[in-house]
Amino acid sequence: MTLLLKQIFAFFKLLNSDTGTNPLAAGLTCGIILGFAPFISLQTLLIFLLVFIFRIQLGAAFLSAFFFKFVAYLFDPVADVLGQKFLQSPALRPLFVSLYNAPLVPMTRFNNSIVMGSMVVSILLAPLAFFIFKALILKYRETVLARFKETKMWKAFKATAFYNWYCKYDSLYGVHGN
Amino acid sequence: MKNETENKPKKIKKPKGPIRWEAIVPVTIIVLVMVLYFHFLFDLHLRKTMEWVGYQVVGAEVDVEKLETSFFKASLRIQGVNITDADQPKQNSISIGDIRFSMLWDALLRAKIVVNEVAVEQIEFNKIRKTPGKVKPPEPVTPEKDSAMSKEAEKVKGLALNQIEKKGEDNVLGDIVAMLGGSSSDMQLEKLNQSLISKEKAKALEADFQKKQTAWQERIKQLPQGKDFQMLGDRLGKVKTSNFKSPQELQDSLKEIDSILKEGDAKLKVVQTANSDFNTDLKGAQDGLKDLDAQIKADIKDLEKHFKIPKIDAKSISMSVFKKYLAPYMEKVNKYKAMYEKYAPPNLIKKKDGSNEEPEIAIQPRPRSKGVTYEFGRPNSYPLFWLKKTSISSQAGASPYSGDIKGQITDITSNQVLTGKPTVIDIAGDFPPQNIRGTDLKIVLNNTTSVSKADLTFKVGSYPLAEKEFVQSPDVKIGFKKAQGSLLVNAHLEAYKDLKMKLDNQFKNIDYDVSSKDAVADSILKNVFAGIPQVSLVAEANGLLPHINFDIESNLGSELQKGFQKQIQLKIDEARKKIEQYVQKEIAQHKEKIEGQINQLKSQVEKELKKVQDQAEAQKKAAESKTDQAKKDAENQGKKKLEEEGKKAVDDLKKKFGL
Repeated sequence: MTLLLKQIFAFFKLLNSDTGTNPLAAGLTCGIILGFAPFISLQTLLIFLLVFIFRIQLGAAFLSAFFFKFVAYLFDPVADVLGQKFLQSPALRPLFVSLYNAPLVPMTRFNNSIVMGSMVVSILLAPLAFFIFKALILKYRETVLARFKETKMWKAFKATAFYNWYCKYDSLYGVHGN
Repeated sequence: MKNETENKPKKIKKPKGPIRWEAIVPVTIIVLVMVLYFHFLFDLHLRKTMEWVGYQVVGAEVDVEKLETSFFKASLRIQGVNITDADQPKQNSISIGDIRFSMLWDALLRAKIVVNEVAVEQIEFNKIRKTPGKVKPPEPVTPEKDSAMSKEAEKVKGLALNQIEKKGEDNVLGDIVAMLGGSSSDMQLEKLNQSLISKEKAKALEADFQKKQTAWQERIKQLPQGKDFQMLGDRLGKVKTSNFKSPQELQDSLKEIDSILKEGDAKLKVVQTANSDFNTDLKGAQDGLKDLDAQIKADIKDLEKHFKIPKIDAKSISMSVFKKYLAPYMEKVNKYKAMYEKYAPPNLIKKKDGSNEEPEIAIQPRPRSKGVTYEFGRPNSYPLFWLKKTSISSQAGASPYSGDIKGQITDITSNQVLTGKPTVIDIAGDFPPQNIRGTDLKIVLNNTTSVSKADLTFKVGSYPLAEKEFVQSPDVKIGFKKAQGSLLVNAHLEAYKDLKMKLDNQFKNIDYDVSSKDAVADSILKNVFAGIPQVSLVAEANGLLPHINFDIESNLGSELQKGFQKQIQLKIDEARKKIEQYVQKEIAQHKEKIEGQINQLKSQVEKELKKVQDQAEAQKKAAESKTDQAKKDAENQGKKKLEEEGKKAVDDLKKKFGL
């Protein structure tokens, strides 16, 4: 429970920070793929590499992966059926034979029905999810955050010594955005 | 209070590019740390892990002296593997000097493990350890942990042993010796504390039949009597069957006859039902007598066992002699069988008897599904795992526990259908320090066909036997002081279920150690064994795992049978006769009484039923003939009347026309 709350608070901190929407949305999207893929697989490694090399929000990616792992667990029976349909398809068989015998590709474990089903769903959802997340983040910042900043409570809090101290601390020790 | 942060001018942040350049240094550090770990510490950790896993699997300490890995060569070398013998911790069950192999990167990049050749060198058995090895204590059995699998393993462990013990006729030779020394008059049958089961059964049968007899006598009294049928007959006699004045009269007569018939039929049915019930009861009584006879035979057999009347047949004697010799080997076989059932893939040991499924515990999240894994093989592609060749070699002389062994294991793979080759194990050698020669092991595991087959041939040309006991009881002792043995085992396992195994053990140059406390038995034993230069032992195991039938045959059994037959057969026959007479005497009285009762009741009831039935049928016949008569009479009267009317009509016509 503590871990879960920590993740949620970290996410809100990111949302309320100056972090750009694209890195945040990209992080959340990568989290979908991470959540649906098995932990020990090539696609997980590739996503980690992408996340480390490019300015994709790490925290958002891990948080999103954490939540989408539960979704994937619930989605398993559907993924199994979908994956089996794909893998048993005669039209795709020559492709799968080539892929199975090619270097590196078997490490994606695509020949497992659940992995295949989850992979198909996550790859199809990823582009759509990116734009949805981006829109939602923008909307949140424009409406909720802006409104909150206009409230008397927030203005009063901003005037406190504690807030000044926090800003100083954050500027010296905090990890800012990218 | 002013906000300090608002007074300071905001720093203009330089926009950062898409690539996280600042991650280079941390990533480099991480990679460097990993490289250093794999270079310095990985081998040590892997070695410790192998020792720990080995300890968990085997249940005894496993030591690995040295382990070397190479990432670029994908190779592994293990030196000094010692596996402690769990039964004798001061020695190793097996020690291997050197194991080395390297995997193909071509296959590794395809997530497959293919090894061209594995070398296994310097194998030794029963080597003395420098320090006694640790042995895993047995796990405490708790009700919750007692899973279906462990129950099944325990069942398998004891099953074969029970088979041998059951067939082993616990102490046949001891019983023979006791019989030789004693006499049949020692059997004090009269002092038997428990009553015979057949006697109790006879008493119960007698009481039951007594009740039935009473019930039948009552029932016969309630059956329709002769006077009832006579009354019906009288009623029938009064019914008009001719000279009917009108159709109504005919109708009334027919109605009355019909009513009498129906009454008669009802009474007849009662009699017929009684007849059928009686036949059923009679059959039940006769079946009861048959069961009683069977129980008498069982009681005789039990008493023979109770008074230890031995069976002088070669098979029982062979079982009794070699039971102790074979039992430890069967225990070892069952131990490895239990280990196999614990670790083998579930689809290989699927239980088809429909039992032993662990019940699902409710209200728990389902475990993560595993899905279905497909293998998209093609000819000449790599299977998931393939060990093409394992070369085994060892030379005698390095230690007193080593041998001259040479052999190879080919095509250990996860998918034999893809490789198209069965797994073949072929190892041969000698152990000169231990005088074991001509050892040859050949195993073929073939899963390329629809039904998997495993064949095993294990031969030992000659091995020494010293101080081997076969029978050690207060009455008799049989063993070998010294002998030379040879062994041939053939086994065939189909679909991992259907087992056929034959073990042929020959012993020659035997120095017997035979004695008995009874002088006659001692003399017989010594004479018999003096005339047996070679002993053969043939054990067979057949059946569907884990329910295997064992059978032991030996020339020792037939020789001992011949030797004891003359001396003891008369005594055995006398004892058996005494037992049979005792049992028959106890039962005869009751049996005779029951038979008498059955016969008496049978004749009485059958006679009565037949009498009543005959009367009923006679009356029924009479009623039916009366009905026919009435109908015929009415028909004739009708015809006559028609004729007369016709004639009258003609006469009238004639008169009218003046003819």
